[in-house]
Amino acid sequence: MPEVNTTEKDKKQEEKAKKDGKDDTSKTKEEKPIPPTPTAEIKSNIALIERAVVDLEPRFAHRVLRSLTALRKRLDYKILRDAVEENYPSESTVKASLLSWLPPASPADQSMDVDTAVQPNDPITPAPPPRSTSDPVPEVEIYLRLLFIHHLHTSKENYRKSLDLCKETVDTMQSLNRRSMDPIAAKIWFAVERSYELGGDLAVARPVFLAAQRTASLRHDDDTQASLINRLLRNYLHYSLYDQADKLVSKTTFPVSAGNPQFARYHYFLGRIKAVQLNYTAAHTNLQQAIRRAPPAKTAPGFYQAVHKLFVVVELLMGDIPDRSTFRHPVLQKALRAYFDIVKAVRTGSLSEFQATLAEHAPQFETDKTYTLIVRLRQNVIKTGIRRLSLSYSRISLRDICLKLHLDSEEDAEYIVGKAIRDGVIEGRIVHEKGWMECEGRKNGYGPEVSDVFGRRIGYCLELHNQSVKAMRYPLNAHRKELAAAEGARERERELAKEIQEGELDDDEGLGDF
Amino acid sequence: MASRQLGTLYKELQRAFDARPTNLKKCGTLLAQLKIGLIETGLLIPSGEASLQDLVVARDILELGAFCSIRAKDVPSFDRYFSQLQTFYTDYRSILPPSKHEFPVRGLNLIRLLTQNRIADFHTTLESLPLPADEISTNPYIAHPVNLERWLMEGSYSKVWNAREEAPAEEYKFFVDSLMGTIRNIRNEIASCEEAAYDNLPLKDAATLLFFTSPSDLLKFAQQRGWQIDLSAGLIKFSRKNDEQTEIPKQKLIAANLVYARELEQIV
Repeated sequence: MPEVNTTEKDKKQEEKAKKDGKDDTSKTKEEKPIPPTPTAEIKSNIALIERAVVDLEPRFAHRVLRSLTALRKRLDYKILRDAVEENYPSESTVKASLLSWLPPASPADQSMDVDTAVQPNDPITPAPPPRSTSDPVPEVEIYLRLLFIHHLHTSKENYRKSLDLCKETVDTMQSLNRRSMDPIAAKIWFAVERSYELGGDLAVARPVFLAAQRTASLRHDDDTQASLINRLLRNYLHYSLYDQADKLVSKTTFPVSAGNPQFARYHYFLGRIKAVQLNYTAAHTNLQQAIRRAPPAKTAPGFYQAVHKLFVVVELLMGDIPDRSTFRHPVLQKALRAYFDIVKAVRTGSLSEFQATLAEHAPQFETDKTYTLIVRLRQNVIKTGIRRLSLSYSRISLRDICLKLHLDSEEDAEYIVGKAIRDGVIEGRIVHEKGWMECEGRKNGYGPEVSDVFGRRIGYCLELHNQSVKAMRYPLNAHRKELAAAEGARERERELAKEIQEGELDDDEGLGDF
Repeated sequence: MASRQLGTLYKELQRAFDARPTNLKKCGTLLAQLKIGLIETGLLIPSGEASLQDLVVARDILELGAFCSIRAKDVPSFDRYFSQLQTFYTDYRSILPPSKHEFPVRGLNLIRLLTQNRIADFHTTLESLPLPADEISTNPYIAHPVNLERWLMEGSYSKVWNAREEAPAEEYKFFVDSLMGTIRNIRNEIASCEEAAYDNLPLKDAATLLFFTSPSDLLKFAQQRGWQIDLSAGLIKFSRKNDEQTEIPKQKLIAANLVYARELEQIV
């Protein structure tokens, strides 16, 4: 696009952005044939950030950040250096500090400069303007630092350096204290966590995050808060500190305005905590939310698999059998093999098969941190077994139960069946003198609980409807057009009414004539 | 090194603790003095730099305190010692040499949670143990409470009863006994299962199921739970409660319908 006068260009872009509810993805698809060079992309991103700051529209900043994942894979030092060189005037202090983090340029790099800096007919970048004379907004500096950090993460020897850079960046961010920086700051925190993790001391980061979280919540900095709460939860769960994580959740409120990816993470962590605390229903809801809010399976397979692993286990713990289609999903099929075997064992209610499967896949469950949860399934296996027996026999001796479920003694079987009856798993009686269990018919499926479930579902649908109404976005001034249209419609109506009136008269006349 | 007085007190405590039978009273007074000493030297809740040796001594003192409070059957005090020990077990884990008392204390804490019926806390604590999952079943101190919990959940109560004999340390017995004896104990659990599962039960069998040795104990227990006892036939009869008609919750249904009506109106 040639550089037109700015206001016009702005309008065009604004319109584009409005249509742009989803089309960021479609845009990247369109661009696929000729992807812009990273340098060009950084440049256009910087332009977008500046607009975001000037127009107070965080949307643009979010758009920039969405391209981050794709962009960071294509970075190298030269590109970063070019980006700094191009966007800062030569005597700027910020520039000097930024450049100090990059290794000095080699002559080979400089000779190539010509090719990449000038990109003909790039769809979004304007032709290279004359070098700016003043510093761009501080957000740009932070954005560039973010790119630096991500690039430093790619090689092992730079982990220490990235940590230093992180510390400096965080200090700058805190001292600047600009609300327009929030979206980028949130991403910076993510990078900070990564730096600590790669450096191998995630626990050290905790006080840093906690302090930052406090500041963010005082400043009503929702983006950063959401990001930091997730960082902290992840940190706690990484060290299995479920108590602390639970306390953090109860003491903080997760900002409602947070983006879907953050929400998905948050729900996943919540699901984990709840599952450990035996609150399976809540865990189930949270994990379901996490799945729904997560990006599509193909773009974020890791998260998708992790959530599903936990989801399957929680479903089993609730006494449900997960959908078979889950295990056929192309992304999940391989990752969930072990879980599929467990599901099969639970379904058949065979304790020996369950133990065998558990022993076979133990290392995997351990790395997934689901081992202890799966061990809890033992009682579910027994319950399923008893239920199957109670459905298929009207009378069965305790000795047979003992044999079929591989229990240790008849005495145990009696206690276990007694407990199952008390917990409402089966309907039946034990006749002690004869040593058998008598089973009654199945439970009546109607009662107040049915209406409760029904009410819950309706409530959910209504909530969904209301949420989607709230989430709709209307283009500015569009209602004027609608008003005009309504005006026109009313006009037509009036005319129509008039005609009808006249027509009626005509008819009357006609009738009269007739 | 902490003040010399602390050192001598600690030695004294160790002697008092190792004596058979343990002199609990003496331990109590010594512990009180030691705790004051620890606070004065800033070791009770260590912060900043403290010498390795001091930390180890402080940890040992607290561990002995935890054991003493179990022997004195003072559960809240055990709870306090355990939370103080947490700092040593987690934050200083990488620095301190491992303590041989650590897992007994942790296991005791697990059993404590179990006796107080705090199953959710039990699992959270279990999850945060610094052990790989397969060692949970091999470490005797941890495996014991884990098995107890599993049997309780399954309903294998006879195994729980027998496990009293297999306690890996003396202190465990106190908890296992209290597991059988407190309000939410297994006996009540079994009794509630029996109420649901049997129409009637011979007295003799009831006594074995509930682990009663004398019939009079059983009769007293049966009276508490309000069971009808037919002495001539030697039967306990359980009355059924769950057959009564459930009422339709009118109020709730009306409220729900009104909400639907309002929401629908908003949509249309």
